[in-house]
Amino acid sequence: MQNKPTTFHFLLLIASGLLLAALSFLWWNDSRQPAPISLTPTLSGETEYCLTCHVDLPEISASHPADTFGCVSCHGGERLALNADLAHSTMRGGANPSDFSVVEASCGGSNCHSGSEADDRHHIQRVMTSVQSTYAGAIASIRYTFGAQTDLNAHFGIQAVIDEQSKTGISSLETFNPVDEAHPSIQKFGEECLSCHLHAEPREGEAYARETGCAACHSTKKHTLTTAIPYTQCNACHNRGNYDLRTMTFVERTDHPTQRIDDYYQPIAQFTQCEYTLDCVDCHTRSEVMGDGDIHNDQASIEYVQCKTCHGTLEELPLTKTLTDPNDIAFTLAFLNPIKDLKLGDTIIVTEKGEPLWNTKVLPDGTYEMIGKATNQYFTFRPVMGTACEQKPDEQESHYCHECHAVEK
Amino acid sequence: MRPSFFHHLHPPTIPTAQARWRHTLAAGGTAIFLMLILGVTGILEMFYYIPNPEEAALSVQTITYLVPFGGFIRNLHYWSAQLLLIVSAIHLLRVVFTAAYSHPRRFNYLLGLTLFVIVILLDFTGYILRWDVDICYPLLTGTNLLKTIPLIGDALHRIAIGGGDACTSGLLRMYVWHIFGLTLPVIILGVWHAFRVRRDGGIAVPPPQVRTDNARISRNELVRREVLAMFVIGIALILLSSFAPAPIAPAMPTTPAAIGAAASQSARAPWFFLWVQQMLKWGDPFIFGIVIPIGILVLVALIPYIFPKPADSDIGTWFPKSNRFAQITIGLVSFIVILLTLLANAK
Repeated sequence: MQNKPTTFHFLLLIASGLLLAALSFLWWNDSRQPAPISLTPTLSGETEYCLTCHVDLPEISASHPADTFGCVSCHGGERLALNADLAHSTMRGGANPSDFSVVEASCGGSNCHSGSEADDRHHIQRVMTSVQSTYAGAIASIRYTFGAQTDLNAHFGIQAVIDEQSKTGISSLETFNPVDEAHPSIQKFGEECLSCHLHAEPREGEAYARETGCAACHSTKKHTLTTAIPYTQCNACHNRGNYDLRTMTFVERTDHPTQRIDDYYQPIAQFTQCEYTLDCVDCHTRSEVMGDGDIHNDQASIEYVQCKTCHGTLEELPLTKTLTDPNDIAFTLAFLNPIKDLKLGDTIIVTEKGEPLWNTKVLPDGTYEMIGKATNQYFTFRPVMGTACEQKPDEQESHYCHECHAVEK
Repeated sequence: MRPSFFHHLHPPTIPTAQARWRHTLAAGGTAIFLMLILGVTGILEMFYYIPNPEEAALSVQTITYLVPFGGFIRNLHYWSAQLLLIVSAIHLLRVVFTAAYSHPRRFNYLLGLTLFVIVILLDFTGYILRWDVDICYPLLTGTNLLKTIPLIGDALHRIAIGGGDACTSGLLRMYVWHIFGLTLPVIILGVWHAFRVRRDGGIAVPPPQVRTDNARISRNELVRREVLAMFVIGIALILLSSFAPAPIAPAMPTTPAAIGAAASQSARAPWFFLWVQQMLKWGDPFIFGIVIPIGILVLVALIPYIFPKPADSDIGTWFPKSNRFAQITIGLVSFIVILLTLLANAK
């Protein structure tokens, strides 16, 4: 036994000090990590730790509460990983799980958005077959113009779609592949003009900014899903410019309107006051905008709401319906966008296809009210019947109404 | 004073030459220390690891990110395992380059080589236990190689992973191999190997009659050096484990189609089998994946038996003339393995 310090003792002292320093560093490094924040959504029952970093994100929508859905059931990802790269590595569609390449896995399921038509849960089937997704009308029109097909019927879509129970007579579309086309203009169309459908990434520029898939329309700001869609969201694609068919290029709008009246429709268009005061979704119904589950030829074949839908004609009042069924779809729609307290017994306007304009109401004096879905503004309006309107019963397109009612700019 | 338990594990005195760093490279002792760390950290990991296909990768994520210091323990286990492979290889090279395998140590040379092979298999099975998307292709390739062996291939495949589809049902077998089937032999053979080192006269040095340096050190001094070495290795491991996390990848999917897709995306063997993977690109998997690697192993195992016996005075000296053939053989094998690994890495 030695009592005198030796070289070994000094070395041991230094080594102990270094070991202590290394362990202290380890402790300090560990204490710098954020404390994990867990969430166990009731739907999956599987704990996830996404909130450790994303605790500040707003609830995405009232119908997708985080406590129920969590993050992973929609977004995918590695639910237990606290390393950003690993946690995000298996997310569906990057930050946008509603991109059509992954929408079935993210938003689908019989209890969610790919259920039956009877349950009105066939949203994915509807949007995938809608003209906003297939772009079928534009493709057919261009192919017809340049001699690739002899009729104006839709044969091709951005992606192949099938609808075996089609009520439109079109049971499928093949994938449009511009490379297979003989005419250079159609090939150019494929290169230059396919940025507006819901599969496509938008053009560059703030004016075109939108997501793909469902979120193209329903996500108006970061981590939000809404049915209160303002016209500005629609304007990310619509009214942004014109296609030049000679050069087959898109000519961007160059004016920078500061007022809604100038921004809403293209400068050359005529429109009535309600057309620019209301938002697109106040008049255009869900089936018009998102499809009805059938494959349609073009935009014109799915759009059907006209001025008369709300205003009627000289001979007929608009169609209405008194809500007697608590399961009426109108209540679901009002729940998703609670701008008004819709009640059993309320009488609302319905379209000729029976779709509820749930934000309207027939008032006791025979006039009507409408609440803006995106603006929450209150409007009242009258029927045509009983007025001095000179319209003819068979002339109901909007341009006939514009002859008298167009706003002077 | 009577020696403590730890002192008692060592001989009372050993020739100074046997304890010189430049003679041993500290490889054997480091290997033992790394194995102890692997044992302790492995047991700690077992408290959280769940060996079923649905939960394995998630439990690895739990260990890595959620268990206090779990990530550190896992990193420590990982880095100790990688270092153990390197240190074992250095140990083998030292033994050949110093003619230490010569009689009476020929049998212990085989024990050591067997340990090296088992350690490689332990590294492979440990890698498989991650059960994430990166492991499927190597597991599939590795276990399918077994099937190419005539007559006994299918039986070996069943022994290894139970005979089912590797990426859906192979996990439990891999787990049991890792925890018991390979670890128990390592413990037994490792103790035997260490016992034989002492029984064969300690670390190889020239016999006393031709030795020039007859100085000896006590077991106290030996233990001191070991303690200091352990401190240095420990500090290096702590720092390595703090800065360099062990690899981890997204969890293995559960549907066969998704597993197939995942497997095709990660067609890369773990680094210590890259040399075999490189050869597999050249043709017949049985030849390049089984015959050649086993041939190389047999060649290395036969070094003490087929080459001329080194001169007694050369035993324990670096690169002696009397075992040139053995040096060239192990040198060529090392060169080829490293070259193939670099080739695989370059692509």
